[in-house]
This record gives sequence, structure tokens and C-alpha cells, in this order.
Amino acid sequence: MSSELERRLESLLTEAPEPDPGAGEEALHRALRALQPAAPTHRGLRTAVLVFAAAAVLLAIAAGSLAAAGALHVSFGAKKKPAHAATGRLSLPRGANGVAAIVDGRLSVAIKGGFRLQVAASAVALSPHALYVAAGIGHSLVALAPDGRRMWSHPAGGEVVAIAWAPDGLRIAYVVRHGHRFVLRAIDGNGTDDALIDRSVRPVRPSWRADNLAFAYVGGGGHAIVYDIGHEKHSISGTTAPVTRVSFAPSGKTLAVATPGSAVLGGKTIVSGDIEALGWRDGRLAVAVEQGVTPPLVRIFRQNGRPDGSFHAPGRVVAVSGGFVVSQTPKGIVAGQQLAGARTVLDVRPGTSVRDLQVG
Amino acid sequence: MREPSDRDLVRRARRGDREAAAALFRRYWRDAWRAAFAITGRRSLADDVAADGFERAFAALGRFDERRPFGPWLHRIVANRALDLLRAERRLSDEELPELPDVAPVHDSGDRSLLASVAGLSLERRVVVVLRYGVGMTPKQIASALDLPVGTVNSRLARALEQLREALEVEHVE
Repeated sequence: MSSELERRLESLLTEAPEPDPGAGEEALHRALRALQPAAPTHRGLRTAVLVFAAAAVLLAIAAGSLAAAGALHVSFGAKKKPAHAATGRLSLPRGANGVAAIVDGRLSVAIKGGFRLQVAASAVALSPHALYVAAGIGHSLVALAPDGRRMWSHPAGGEVVAIAWAPDGLRIAYVVRHGHRFVLRAIDGNGTDDALIDRSVRPVRPSWRADNLAFAYVGGGGHAIVYDIGHEKHSISGTTAPVTRVSFAPSGKTLAVATPGSAVLGGKTIVSGDIEALGWRDGRLAVAVEQGVTPPLVRIFRQNGRPDGSFHAPGRVVAVSGGFVVSQTPKGIVAGQQLAGARTVLDVRPGTSVRDLQVG
Repeated sequence: MREPSDRDLVRRARRGDREAAAALFRRYWRDAWRAAFAITGRRSLADDVAADGFERAFAALGRFDERRPFGPWLHRIVANRALDLLRAERRLSDEELPELPDVAPVHDSGDRSLLASVAGLSLERRVVVVLRYGVGMTPKQIASALDLPVGTVNSRLARALEQLREALEVEHVE
């Protein structure tokens, strides 16, 4: 028998709002893409991701070892002539495995084999060797395969604002907007074992150490913090603050950080000035420094902090990633190893927002 | 012309028929979304949870026992995703769980009090209340969706109603 209270509850709660038509269309698109009658099971797919990533890393390690021993010549580079850049679409720079960015709020990816994608996203990261893409889509962290298929999707509880894939591909660190705060979490590369790392961080992309056992991020107080996964220990790195970027060297344990007015390498200030970007290139740190009316100067440093040359880059340097210096110029986004030979990877209108650009 | 049954649509969708899958989606999207909204209380989360629920359901369609009804199975996936999400949020946030905002245009102070009292229920009790009175599911359907015994659903409903009555009485006295 229905009581007065139950009738009131029905009357109140059944007037729930309707879903937005747009949400339904996007959800239908997602659902239909998940429809794979002949595909292996979800668990099988996840295992396949893990195995494939691990195999690729082992292969790369083996190839690197042979190359170091002089037994194998390793050559990276697109065999096919890259397609011309289309407006708003990324093109692969010569020698890269993949390039990804958020262009005007939409994920844009290009990898070898022609994978291109254009969906609304808040953050993106390429896996090692650009085999997969992790992206913040809606309030989920999503891993996408080269054919654009979703390998897995994990509800993040908020907008994902920064993602970093470990060098071995087995773990992903990501930052989620949670109300007025940002929270750091880590999840396995197959979408399982999600864990909270820090309740209060800044929305800066974390950086993994080469040995995969630790990563750096920017804590809520603005300091660089190194999180040791094995010991679940957080250590503040240096006294520099507020840190705007963190970047571990591709080998060893040297950490570089940037603040609005300096670049610090291994605890030592190596550059004073307005830092546009900072990253590693051929084992050396590249720091792009704003120069006013003249083009930005990219200064190169060895891991021990010794200067190792410099060059000017066109436009404004937006990233140093995958060995490339990437600049935003009036002609579009260009990527190159040096000023000469820079290639347009994205034609964009002036004022276009380009974030999270990453070359892998 | 007679509408195809869920079973027909599921069978065709399993063979890769996208039209059948889309028909299944359109048949259940609104209910799935409203269930997700009823549990999470937020539009953006409901969009994500319902979409994620369908994605998982379609990806697992090959393993679905087609002799069983599709709706409760889908609701179970959606409800579990919503609960996982809220529990994860509760773990990492000191903030209160979301109240039930914008559920209905609230006309008088009595409705406001009742809505506030519903929002004050524990997550477990609130979910069964909104699925029962907001989505219109029977206790048996809720039990199936949440993977709980029917007795547990009934006792949670009874305790929730008791708590709501007490809260309203206290307010009335004050």
C-alpha cells in the first residue's frame, strides 16, 4: 500500500530532467564503436594491450642495446612521404612515430599508418612509440588503439587535465579536476588498478623517470615532488617554486624543472628568464627562452648542467617533445630538430588554442 | 508493423547489425540516463555513466545470455558504474556527496525539506529510493540491478522511509 510519503517521493523524483540530445548522440557513437561481434573478450583486449606494449618496449630495449654495441643500425623515419597538413589536422614530422595535441578543445592525433582522430577532449598523451593514445574524454580517461577503437575507459570523476604514460607503457599518471582542486592518480596501462596518489596538485603534466619507478609532479604548494612507486613515498625536490613544468631526463635520474623565471637542472639554476618550454632532445636538455622582439633562443645543456650550444626557433616555442622543438608561428605549428628543416605539422588560424602537443 | 523484441535486437546486434544496436540504444538510453542521474545527481556524470554503461554492455554483448531481459542487465551495469564513481569520489573527497539538485522544480517548503532529507540519506539507501520512486523500478528489478537480495532492497527501502518520516517530523516540530 502506498503511503502519503511514497506518493510525495514519486511526485518529486519522477520529474527528473531528460538527457540532452547531444549526449545521446555521442553515447550512441561510443556504444556502436564498442560493438565488436567477432572481437576477443574485453579482458583479452586489455591483456593484448599490455603484452603488445611490453613487447614493443622489450624490442626497443633490445634494438637500443644492439645499436649501442654497433651491431644494428637503428633508423627512425617515415618511409612514406607524409601527407600535406590539412587545416586543423596534425601531420607527422619526419622521424617521429606519432604526434598528438588538443586543438581548440579537440583531440588531434597522427601516427604512422594514418591514424587520425577528431573528438572533443581535455588532455592527451601518447604511449611509448605512439602505439596508443590516452585521452581525457568527458569525465573519463580513455585509451585508444591505432584504429581509433576504445581499448578501455575509466571514469575519472572529473575532467582529466594532464596525462603521462610511463616509458615502459605499464602505468599512466594523470591529473583530474575535482571541484576546485586537482587530484593526481595513477592507473595501469590496461585500465586497471587505479590509485589515488595526491589529493592536492597543480594541473601540470607529470614526468616519469626513465626507470619507471618514480615520477615527478607539481604539488598543491607549487613544489616539484617525486613519487617513488615502490616505496609509495613523496619527496619534495628542491626549494624552487612555483614550478610550472617538470621533466625527467630520458636516462638516469636527473630532473629538470621550470618556473616562470628560471630553469633548474639537477637542483642548479641554469637559465634565468621567461621560459617558454623545456624538454629533452638527444639526451640533452633544451630550454626555450623568450627574447622579446627577437625569436626565442633554445639553449642546450648536458645532464651535468654544462651548456652545449643554442639556436633560435621561429615564433613561440610551445613544446620540446620527442626530440623536436615545436613552435607556433604565423604559418602554423612547426616541428624540427633545429631551425633549419622545421616542418609544418599543423596549419592553424591565428588565435587557435593548441595544448598538450606531444611528439612521440 | 510490430516492433522487434529486445531479444531480436540483441541477437542481431551480436551479429554486428548496427541498426539493431542503435534501436536497442534508443529504446533504453533515456531510462539508463535517468537511472544514472538519479544515482549521481549530476548531469555531466549521468552523461558519462550512461554512455560508459552502454559502451560496456555493447562490448560484452557477445557474452550476454540472450534468454535474460536486456533492460535489467543494462541497468545493473549503469548502476554499478554510477556507484563505483560515487564511491571513488567519496574516497578522494572530503566534500559531501552531491545532493539531488534539479531533480524537480520544487514548489513549496515541504518539497524542499523532503528533497533535502533524501539527499541526506546514505548512498546505499538513497540509491534504492531514487531507483524505486524516481525511475519506477520494482524491488526485484533494483535487486537485480544492484546485485543484492530482494530482502536487502526491501529493508533498505523501509529504513530509508522511516528515516525520511523522522526527519520530516523533527522539522515539523521545530
